[in-house]
Amino acid sequence: MISQLRSMWLVFRHLFTPRVTVEYPDEKPYLAPRYRGRIVLTRDPGGEERCVACNLCAVACPPDCISLQKAEDENGRWYPGYFRINFSRCIMCGLCEEACPTYAIQLTPDFEMCEYDRQNMVYEKEDLLINGPGKYHHYSFYHVAGKAVGGKDKGAAENEERPVDIRGLNL
Amino acid sequence: MPTITVDGEDYEVEAGQNLLSICLSRGIDLPYFCWHPAMGSVGACRQCAVIEYEDDEDQQGRLVMSCMTEARDGARYSVDAQTAREFRGGIIENLMINHPHDCPVCEEGGECHLQDMTEMTGHTLRRYRGPKRTHRNQYLGPFINHEMNRCIACYRCTRFYRDYAGGTDLEALGRNNQIYFGRREDGRLLSGFSGNLVEVCPTGVFTDKTFSRHYVRKWDQQMAPSVCEHCGVGCNTAPAARQPGSPGDPWLRRVTNLYKRDINGYFLCDRGRFGYEYANSPARLTQVMERDNIELIGSSSGGGALSHRQIAPADGVEAFARHLEDHGTGKHLLLGVGSPRSSLENNFALRTLTGAEQFYAGVSAVDLQLLQLVNSIQCDERIRSATTPEVEQADAILILGEDIDNTAARIALAVRQAAQNQRRRQAEKLKIPDWQDAALRQLPAAPVPIVFAGCEIPALADCCSDHVIGTPDALVSFGEAVLEAIGASRGGTDQGDTLTDTGDSPLSRDYLQLARDTARALVDAERPLVISGCGAQHPGLLRTAGLIATALAEERDEPVNTYLSCPEVNSLGLLQILSSADQHLERAGSIMADARKRGIPVTLVVLENDLFRRLPQNQAQEILSSADTVIALDHLLNDTTRRAHLVFPTAATPEYQGTVINSSGRAQRHYCVYEGIGFIQESWRWLADAISASNLHSDTADLVRSWQHSDDVSAALAEALPVFAEIRRLMVSLRDNFNVARQSHRASGRTAISAERRVAEEPPPEDTDAPLSFTMEGVHDPAKTTLQAVIRAPGWTSNQSIHKYLQGLNGLRVERGAPTLLQRPQKPVPRWQSVELHACGNATNGSTTSGRLLAVPLHRLLGSGELSSSAEGIASAIEPPFAKLHPTDAAQRGIHHGEQLVLNLGETRRQLHARVDFEISPGVVGLPCGFPELADITVRLPVAVHIKPVTASDHTAGGDEP
Repeated sequence: MISQLRSMWLVFRHLFTPRVTVEYPDEKPYLAPRYRGRIVLTRDPGGEERCVACNLCAVACPPDCISLQKAEDENGRWYPGYFRINFSRCIMCGLCEEACPTYAIQLTPDFEMCEYDRQNMVYEKEDLLINGPGKYHHYSFYHVAGKAVGGKDKGAAENEERPVDIRGLNL
Repeated sequence: MPTITVDGEDYEVEAGQNLLSICLSRGIDLPYFCWHPAMGSVGACRQCAVIEYEDDEDQQGRLVMSCMTEARDGARYSVDAQTAREFRGGIIENLMINHPHDCPVCEEGGECHLQDMTEMTGHTLRRYRGPKRTHRNQYLGPFINHEMNRCIACYRCTRFYRDYAGGTDLEALGRNNQIYFGRREDGRLLSGFSGNLVEVCPTGVFTDKTFSRHYVRKWDQQMAPSVCEHCGVGCNTAPAARQPGSPGDPWLRRVTNLYKRDINGYFLCDRGRFGYEYANSPARLTQVMERDNIELIGSSSGGGALSHRQIAPADGVEAFARHLEDHGTGKHLLLGVGSPRSSLENNFALRTLTGAEQFYAGVSAVDLQLLQLVNSIQCDERIRSATTPEVEQADAILILGEDIDNTAARIALAVRQAAQNQRRRQAEKLKIPDWQDAALRQLPAAPVPIVFAGCEIPALADCCSDHVIGTPDALVSFGEAVLEAIGASRGGTDQGDTLTDTGDSPLSRDYLQLARDTARALVDAERPLVISGCGAQHPGLLRTAGLIATALAEERDEPVNTYLSCPEVNSLGLLQILSSADQHLERAGSIMADARKRGIPVTLVVLENDLFRRLPQNQAQEILSSADTVIALDHLLNDTTRRAHLVFPTAATPEYQGTVINSSGRAQRHYCVYEGIGFIQESWRWLADAISASNLHSDTADLVRSWQHSDDVSAALAEALPVFAEIRRLMVSLRDNFNVARQSHRASGRTAISAERRVAEEPPPEDTDAPLSFTMEGVHDPAKTTLQAVIRAPGWTSNQSIHKYLQGLNGLRVERGAPTLLQRPQKPVPRWQSVELHACGNATNGSTTSGRLLAVPLHRLLGSGELSSSAEGIASAIEPPFAKLHPTDAAQRGIHHGEQLVLNLGETRRQLHARVDFEISPGVVGLPCGFPELADITVRLPVAVHIKPVTASDHTAGGDEP
């Protein structure tokens, strides 16, 4: 008897507590920058595509919903010829972002991706690529890695000596 | 057998082996870089350090390099000891100091020995923060990409390239921390084995440039065991494929070596490694095509070429069936032309379709004769066909007329290893183990008697003890002199030196002496070897080689090892399918001409064969034009398919399952790696479809109709021809859903790769022929089955993990049974007379009479192969067509090096670059065999030709004939 009265009291009291839910979609909830939503491909501070088509995101992906093909420009820079994410399979786990060695693939606080047609959930590179660096503003993979690309010669990366002149004495 | 203790475990080991190879073959993971199972130890990288204890009391022990330490009986070692682990960790940290942090953009990533070893050593955190040494890269040609920053200076590249493969243009330059592995200047790596650097280099310094154009990581590659289709050696390969995710990508991505002890071991030649691109060539046929009735304008028709339009495959098969029905009613003559570059199954299906009498080998009379000679020599019980390890162990070699560097390159690489055998013997005397590579190569030793006789100084010359350069006729004379000297030693007395010059010999005294020395070396050797082949297109040379080998066997009273090289992947197999010895193309031509005269319509079915590479242009054209209907099945658009009325696209070697016979008479299976695009399917399936669509009813037609699987055809073949009885052993039947996965366990992108077209995943294709799946489901462990071509092990992603699956160091692959050989009846070779030896297929003997030179074929690794010439990378490396002649011949005719000359052969006239060189014998002019522009001339070689410099009138008359 006492327990029933206590339950009724508790329920009654909840009428006056503030609501946790919001009137979505009229009111949008706050999502942290590191929320795991829609995936984007970012650009480095120089405005170039960050993705170097290393395939690590694809191999880390549990539902195997990422597919891409390496291509290379005339200066040796690797980039994805195509980059496809099948969001109808994506589980927003963020393992791709964790695997990415260049901060190219990032998850964003956007989850509003409903479609009537499942085919529309297949995103190509044009749909994924954004015009900014995302969460990591200053990182540029090619300025750390030793491979020469257009605009960065051998020896010009961080912590690199000038290339060895193999015809010199090299004392 | 000595017993050693490693970390408390006792192991019985083979005596004289080094600790590293023992540990690896016992499954103990021990990191290493500079050691290679085929190249031995040099102790350069210091990565494989272990602790050796003095005795049972010793607790401290001392560090030793396991690759340089011979296992002592009863000794105690530790791989796991803290000191050893710390030392190895320090070494890898040092090696990684300058490593450029570019694994994501490195083609080696995911199958990198350096990655594996770094993981194994536990070096996970980079402590060094100082500046890194950098290098500029070099352009190394169309095959190999250079990224010198990744180098860890293990010296494997130069040890392979220079010491093992005899290359000269890759060197260790610079010094100490700035050491640089490259060429003195930019340019293509000239060795025919440069592609192996990709697999030999433990890092990503040398990577496959052709692969990089359509790169996929190893975990995404779909693989199955295959056989290289570019020569007769039959090296095992692992082609890698991946479904294209966008329209421009090809299925086939690259070819890597698949270890097979008795044939290719760890290495492939460049033609085999980079020739795969023909399957992705723009000339690839993917649709069924029918002759269009549009008249081509004269200049583009190219002598009988037709224009084609695509038709539905069912219509094509229907049209094919109608021709078969006509044949069934006897109103028609149906002829089949087989192919030495297609599988036994395809050839047998065509033979069944046309009847054995109407099935012709797709080769010319001379080529067929050469194959028959190879076959008859191999059928002699005094002859054994040498495996590659046997070639490597030979201690006296005679190479007669075959430029194996270019026709059977893998065998030439084995001959190079044989050149070290005197040193090995010397080392044995000095109690130096044979894996002590650096010590071995510095030992002074007499050269191994390797005598090369040919028209041109070969690339192999640097490891030959002697070479004889002459016209084919002179080479036969040299062979006869060797034969005579072997016979003389048989007389009981050693008369080798007392043989007198008869005076009328065409050989100089030096060559006669060399012939005697060669004979003696062969007779005295423990493991002599005779090498010859079809490359010189000279039956006499083959006969001479056969006689020498049999005489040697008589002398030694035991079978003698020979290697007789056949030109194509299934040359020897095709020969066995023929019903009689004269089923060559010329005969097919005359039968067709005859039928035409009598008003009988002729249908010609050409199976995977370009007749314009088999016969002179006019003869090939005549054969095709004397048929009322030409039905061609092939991979590529070529001169024959251009002239066919019906064209069916057929599967290339990595796209279907088939059986081929290599030059040693060994049957091997290649499996479907991926299904061809468009309407590509196996030739035998097209033929079977045509029969099924026809209203023919006979026993053979019903047999063909019953074929569902590749194995059905193989079984019918084994049934019909007893010589193939053994190939039943190659059939792996499905048991208990035993499927082998073609994809790795971590293949990616399954739900995205085709989502662009259709988001719902489609079921993977099923392989009806082999117990292999096109998915990642199935057996992955290469130890369980040799059908698994993805070679990896936990912690070992690179191909180096193959040691996990071998029976001992450089042993057979686990589970691999005895070789499957042709069951040929044994029959002694006839005693050919001197006249027959000198008789040459095409040419007259008086080659240099009336100012003519004897044109001989010069094979080139890049360019002489039919299919590989269509590969993008190889096509860009093929030399422009040339004529190579000796300076005296050139001077007589006023021809200068580098200028144009005119070559007249009958009515054919060609302008070619003159290459004046002492490398070639006087009296001959060498033409690059099988080059796309010259194929119709080189099929006629050797033949006497007129050569003259280009005059002004030639310029006005124009260059090449159409």
